Amino acid sequence: MKIVASTRLNKAQRAMTASRVFNKTDAEFMENAQPEKAEDEKTLLVVVSSDKGLCGSIHTQISKAARKRFEELNGSADIVTIGDKVRTQLQRTHADSMKLAFNGVGKEAPTFHEVALIADEIKKLGQYENIEILYNKFVSGVSFEPSKFAVFANDAIEKAPGLSKYELEGEDIGETLSDLSLANSLLTAQAEAYASEISARRNAMDNASKNAGDMINSYSILYNRTRQAVITNELVDIITGASSLG
Amino acid sequence: MFRQTFRQVARQSNSVVRRAYATEAATASEALKLSLALPHQTLYSESEVEQVNLPSINGDLGILANHIPIVEQLRPGLLEIISKGGETDQYFVSGGLATVQPGNKLTISAIEAFKPDQFDAQSVKDLIADAQKRAASSDEAVVAEANIELEVLEALQHVAK
Repeated sequence: MKIVASTRLNKAQRAMTASRVFNKTDAEFMENAQPEKAEDEKTLLVVVSSDKGLCGSIHTQISKAARKRFEELNGSADIVTIGDKVRTQLQRTHADSMKLAFNGVGKEAPTFHEVALIADEIKKLGQYENIEILYNKFVSGVSFEPSKFAVFANDAIEKAPGLSKYELEGEDIGETLSDLSLANSLLTAQAEAYASEISARRNAMDNASKNAGDMINSYSILYNRTRQAVITNELVDIITGASSLG
Repeated sequence: MFRQTFRQVARQSNSVVRRAYATEAATASEALKLSLALPHQTLYSESEVEQVNLPSINGDLGILANHIPIVEQLRPGLLEIISKGGETDQYFVSGGLATVQPGNKLTISAIEAFKPDQFDAQSVKDLIADAQKRAASSDEAVVAEANIELEVLEALQHVAK
């Protein structure tokens, strides 16, 4: 099981590295433009995870992070979940704020097409000034940490103090940028979450194999002892019978 | 002794100034660094190139080193990358965003990019005929989709041979 997960991890890591580079363009622009967050506006939290379990605490961690962020925003937030596991976990506590839930994604490394469809659905929810994408960032083969991307709306980008560093020709470049930034961040978030999940699953599978090995050991000792006891009992019976006859 | 130290300090500060000039000159002569990224693949990662020709929605653009920072939306078309040695690499991109960052860096995010010789002219023609059929449909969403397809395919038609 560990080997199966390991080969998948390599693939997932490749997808993640490519998406990280893809997202860097956007990140660099945002760093230079420095758009400001709109205060007192409702925030949309997009929690990225997947449908499948058996991978340790990964879903619980991201749900915890989402709950914490929700508290920090004083409840003025709506939640969109990607993946069934986080949906069931968040539905118990924040069912009222859940606006949309996606499932069936996260089985393979994400594709841009898939992400564009999700971004489209999210845009249909209406205009949110702040969007935050929560995901498990892949740190190394054995660790991950819940992190977030901020996606800015059209207005925030157009009002950004650093925007004057760039020369812009088109009129609606802010909208294009904000749309692309949403899809971009979602893609990277999903790729990172996918890699984290696979690596967590690999560790979980490794532990499961180890535990199963330990159990097999202790049970085979128990089996041998019981068998020995049965043989001894039978021998005692036979010998007692023989000696009483003679 | 006092004077000696003073002189030393003076010499030091002099050299500091000189070094600052030197690094500045180095940045000015730096080449354009190109990163061309697709969602699933990285084609160029901060490689030094001579010139990049972009198909932007506002017209074609040639980017050389020390270009002012800009943000340009790409239209479907041919992206040309001229390397330091003068060789030209061509990619057909379906669209995307090109950003010249402060610091002589050009980053291009395209959704798909392929070399022109990877396309088959006949299948492009077939796809155009198919999209034209759908563009005559009565459903608005289908027409919009078909028109986007046509835009990409017509640009591609000139490139594929």
